[in-house]
Amino acid sequence: MKVFIDPPNSLILFDLIERFGHEPLSTMAALQERVDNIEIDMPPMNVTLDDVIKGLKYAGIEVPSGIRGRLAVWGPLIEEADAAVVMEGAPFSFGCVGCERSNLMVKYLLQRRNIPVLYVTYPEDEEQGKLVVAKVKEFLQGLDKKEAN
Amino acid sequence: MSEERETRLLMIAPTSNVTPDQLSRTIHAMGERISVKETCYGCLIEGPRDLVRKVRDAARELDPNGIFSKIRAYPLGDPRRCRAHHGTRPGFSQLEMEWNALTNISAGLDASDRGEKVVEPEPKKQLPVTEFKKICEVNQ
Repeated sequence: MKVFIDPPNSLILFDLIERFGHEPLSTMAALQERVDNIEIDMPPMNVTLDDVIKGLKYAGIEVPSGIRGRLAVWGPLIEEADAAVVMEGAPFSFGCVGCERSNLMVKYLLQRRNIPVLYVTYPEDEEQGKLVVAKVKEFLQGLDKKEAN
Repeated sequence: MSEERETRLLMIAPTSNVTPDQLSRTIHAMGERISVKETCYGCLIEGPRDLVRKVRDAARELDPNGIFSKIRAYPLGDPRRCRAHHGTRPGFSQLEMEWNALTNISAGLDASDRGEKVVEPEPKKQLPVTEFKKICEVNQ
């Protein structure tokens, strides 16, 4: 199943989801398409007109362009996702979580999709690490069972 | 076999005994038709998708719960990203943060392999005023 990760460029979440046999939907894959196929300077810093239009679908015109730019990449991934894993309470420099408004919009879009979403907390110590892995594993195994049914 | 390019980043957890040099030499020794670049955190590999995944799985055998991977949007040595060409590296601060947290995730994966049951701790609650008053009175 396709699982959206938040932060969408997280190594930990990407690895865990792949390890437990699912396909992570990440920013990297979305940007690779732009790097390989579209001749723009430096995605995601530079965008195409299409990206701007796509972003408008997820955030209004009055929303700052940074949020709209992020959602232009993440929005289609959320639409494609069958489930999602969200890591909360991460430090400021962890992924592109520096923009709280974008994070809120992502959570709102996930809620609106009505797909299974797992919220985990950023692991500060080994006990929390064990908890994160156990929760993600259980969630993904649950998805397997759901798919089998 | 999928011919689509895939660039993958392999990162070694701080607790692992594997070194980036050891990792990249192991991948070179596999003799597969992929490119390898040793980095400070592990290595980057690039080639056709299926081959890269095969190499990732084989490289992981060195330390299954200590080597982590994710894909990378930019190709290996791209002048926009590669430091040798004075490229920017906007994602590096995040990689640094995740590298620190890999110790905890690695411990979690070990526990999961051992079949350890993890109990979620009770969430922290606010201290009631009456209890707080008692603590204050004891300390007086």
